[in-house]
Amino acid sequence: MEADLQAYVAFYLTGKKQPTQVDGIDGLKLRPALFSGFRDLTRLRYDYPLVLIDDPVDERYVESLSGLIDAILDKLAQGADGERIRKNVLRLEQGIRTLLSTGRSGLFSELWDQAAAPLIKADKLMADSLARARANLKTDGEVIDCTGNLAFRLLGHAWGMTQMQRARRFNADINRLILKLSDIIQADFINSDAGKTAENLRHAFGSGPLDNFNFDAMSRILKKVSARENLPKRRRQRVLDLISTLQSQQFFPTTGSKAGVPGSPPYSFAFDTCSDALKAYRERIPKAIELARAIAMAELEIKGEYSEAKHDALFESFGENGLDTEELAIFPDYLVRINATSLSGPEQSTLTEILSADLPIKIVVQTDDILEKSLIEHGHLTFTLRSKQLARMSMGMGIFVLQAPASSLYRMRQPIQRGLDYAGSALFSIYSGDSPNTAGIAPYLVGAAACESRLFPAFSFNPSAGRDWAARFTLLTNPQVSNDWPVHEVIYQDERIQTVTDPVPFTLIDFVACDARYSKHFARVPRTNWSACLTPVATTLAAEGRGQVETVPYLMMVDGENRLQKVIVDEKLIREARRCRTMWNSLQELGGIHNSHAERLLASEKKLWQESASQAEAVPAKTDAAPASAAVTASPTPAPATGAESEAERSPDEAYIETPRCSSCNECIQLNSKMFAYDGNKQAVIVDASAGTYAQLVEAAENCPVAIIHPGKPRNLNEAGLDELLKRAEVFM
Amino acid sequence: MKFSATECLLELYEEKLELEDYQSGVPRWCNGCGDNAILTAIQRLCRDEGLRPEKTVFVSGIGCSSRFPHYMKTYGFHGIHGRAFPVAEGVKMARPDLTVFVNTGDGDCCSIGAAHWIHAIRYNMNLTVFLHDNQIYGLTKKQASPTSPIGTRSNTTPRGSYLDALNPLTVTLGVANASFVAQAVDWIPESLFEIVKAAYHHKGFSFVRILQRCPEWLPKLHEADMQEPDSVQLLHHENALQLSPGLSKVYKNQLRHDPLDMNRAREIASSTDVVPVGILYQNREIPCYEDTRRSTVLRTSDTVRKGFEAELDKYSV
Repeated sequence: MEADLQAYVAFYLTGKKQPTQVDGIDGLKLRPALFSGFRDLTRLRYDYPLVLIDDPVDERYVESLSGLIDAILDKLAQGADGERIRKNVLRLEQGIRTLLSTGRSGLFSELWDQAAAPLIKADKLMADSLARARANLKTDGEVIDCTGNLAFRLLGHAWGMTQMQRARRFNADINRLILKLSDIIQADFINSDAGKTAENLRHAFGSGPLDNFNFDAMSRILKKVSARENLPKRRRQRVLDLISTLQSQQFFPTTGSKAGVPGSPPYSFAFDTCSDALKAYRERIPKAIELARAIAMAELEIKGEYSEAKHDALFESFGENGLDTEELAIFPDYLVRINATSLSGPEQSTLTEILSADLPIKIVVQTDDILEKSLIEHGHLTFTLRSKQLARMSMGMGIFVLQAPASSLYRMRQPIQRGLDYAGSALFSIYSGDSPNTAGIAPYLVGAAACESRLFPAFSFNPSAGRDWAARFTLLTNPQVSNDWPVHEVIYQDERIQTVTDPVPFTLIDFVACDARYSKHFARVPRTNWSACLTPVATTLAAEGRGQVETVPYLMMVDGENRLQKVIVDEKLIREARRCRTMWNSLQELGGIHNSHAERLLASEKKLWQESASQAEAVPAKTDAAPASAAVTASPTPAPATGAESEAERSPDEAYIETPRCSSCNECIQLNSKMFAYDGNKQAVIVDASAGTYAQLVEAAENCPVAIIHPGKPRNLNEAGLDELLKRAEVFM
Repeated sequence: MKFSATECLLELYEEKLELEDYQSGVPRWCNGCGDNAILTAIQRLCRDEGLRPEKTVFVSGIGCSSRFPHYMKTYGFHGIHGRAFPVAEGVKMARPDLTVFVNTGDGDCCSIGAAHWIHAIRYNMNLTVFLHDNQIYGLTKKQASPTSPIGTRSNTTPRGSYLDALNPLTVTLGVANASFVAQAVDWIPESLFEIVKAAYHHKGFSFVRILQRCPEWLPKLHEADMQEPDSVQLLHHENALQLSPGLSKVYKNQLRHDPLDMNRAREIASSTDVVPVGILYQNREIPCYEDTRRSTVLRTSDTVRKGFEAELDKYSV
């Protein structure tokens, strides 16, 4: 046994395989044990393939095939024959999956018919079920499976739908503006002498008994009516210019502009390289500014609020600082779809340029290989971080970022939509899972494995969702987010045909084991040599540091016939896996999981709380009494102070009105408008008590329906009948 | 279409209007008439909200209250008796960009116009309605109106009226789609203004019944309520109106009332011992008719002509 361990340790530390003890794994067709159930995906029911909906309702631009089938079954598979229909339709679903796996493509309805044809022939009941289900098929669109071009197609489709909605809104707005502006011109024409000619009047009459009218006479009479002022020349020209600017815009295909307007074809907004997109963007800025300016001016013109004195200067310098994101939001966004391999030097810097300027360009970067070998050879196993870390680096620029393997795109359809709606740059970094090095394993499975192994986690970062990380960043699409590695159960039978259930974490090493290029880092241990000195990879990963090597980490894998194999791995991979885990941990912290700052704070607060709690226990009576008595003495003083102050200011001899209660009835004002007047809110005040007699003051007080006039004491002590007046005034004191 | 920076810049040039800019002519109402208080409150609202006179319409029917549009320097429509609502609805339907107010009286709204009133509530169009309720026909010199208290002696009921008064609040609260019902009194200007403001900000048919004094024909009607602050019960709630310290000091009779509680609102509306003042009911979720019926089709002269011709063709021989 000692000899075995020595050989394993030698491999572990140096990668050298001793032929008698361990075998290379090339040609064994090994795959991680957790993959054993997923050899033929067409026989499984899961969220792929997808249907790209042509005419989406409320943002549902993509649906999963199984979701659509379920929706039909929910409606249809009821009652006595419900179970039969369910079985038959699910059989059809499998047929569609099989068709797709043979490379067929097309619309959902087309594939449905192709898959249904052989089934219907064989079975009458089946024909009935499928015919009824087909009648319930309301949505249609292209079906795509999780293959190499999924990301470009799906995001292209979603982007197209977003732009279509935007175009609809834009067209509605532009057409409204054009119509209203034309109305201004038209109204002016009708009011003018030219508009009142007999011929025009006849034309305006439409069809009917034209001979019964004398249009010449009508024209003469109408011309005598003094027309309102004609449109000033400048305004007329301005309105005409606005109409022509709005009609000749090239940003969206127009639906309602009048025929005969010379227009150029609309711009295209989808590009294959960042530099092309940037160039187009820069060329179109002046046009965009001109259009945004025209729209703002048109809104003012329509409301009749355009004032040359105020607005001319403003619009002359319009857009000198460019357009801000809100202003750009009405224009189409640019789309760049690019493969990571073509992100070479200049292209990469253009990409950075776009992202750092937060231009309204949505960039999809697809990576096919995330285990690309490092350019530094000689044992450097660092899988290149270039494309893999693009998303994480871009988050620092405060733009929208989404990273996901192609297999998670369906689950992330809402974040994708948010990214496309985001005003500014958005980066979508997608791993396709379609690489020649993982031949034999479906791209869906490879993508999912990349996500499970934490090498390519799915996350989204949306700066428009809030101001902090908690609102902006989410990791939740990942499996078992709070764990270092997601744990799944491997169920197998041992030599004694006993079922064994083994929880196995899926680690980076499992993912690397799928890649043929790294086979030299693995070595198979023959079953006869399995011993206690082999320990699961996860255990080794969990133990920190190197220390004395007493056990060697192994991986559970299965061969072509689903027989369990143990494969030992070398230390380089362990080191890589630990690094991968560190990066995952830091992402977790951003996502609020095991946040070290929060945990530290929590611990210290807890400690403080416990300390104070134990103190409180020691002296229970005193702590309760002290703050309560303090509160009682402190509170009552400030409240009445303000009221007393304002009342004390006024002398009781002075005449005054409780103005806030005045109901503006005019009584007092009519009595003496020099003594009483209204304030800014049209409520009465005494402006000059000496502007009238005391008798008037008393009379006003008596007439006031809300009795808020207080006459005070007379100023002129010689006024006649003062005694009687004072008596009457008493009630208003 | 929203333009952030541009919009901000344009707003710099907005004109600030003063109270005088909304005043037109000297009201011909009697001295001491409660309509003056309502006029002032609404002119304050226009000024404080910066309503553009050319974008604002006051529609009225017939009666003392319905002279209202004459005293506002905005657009106005002094309509026909009982038909203020249909006119206002038409204005709103054709020009949803305008702010439309309706001023109507107890005779105009609750008698001859009652049918239009009920359906206007159900349509819930975005109108702000003030029912100037003086409980008497004043313009025609004292005849009993539907809201006159039983026993009111008038030219038509010399021995006192025989019927119980109609309660405009309970009626409104009983109609489907009622979305904003409030009561104000003209003699508490602060609360009147706050209620008018809340009604303006409510999107939907905001119905404000204003108890309004008629010093000429029913001078005694509200005298007791005015002299005894506790006879007025101020409604308040964190989702409705909050009371200022000054107001709370004078009016101690207060009631916390959730404006979404319809049953309680109906109870309060029916109370006879106190005069409830405030928002009785407010539901922001009820859709406006003009929104549900809004067409996306642009009204070009072509579509209008085609529509006309299609309609007329139905009758051609």
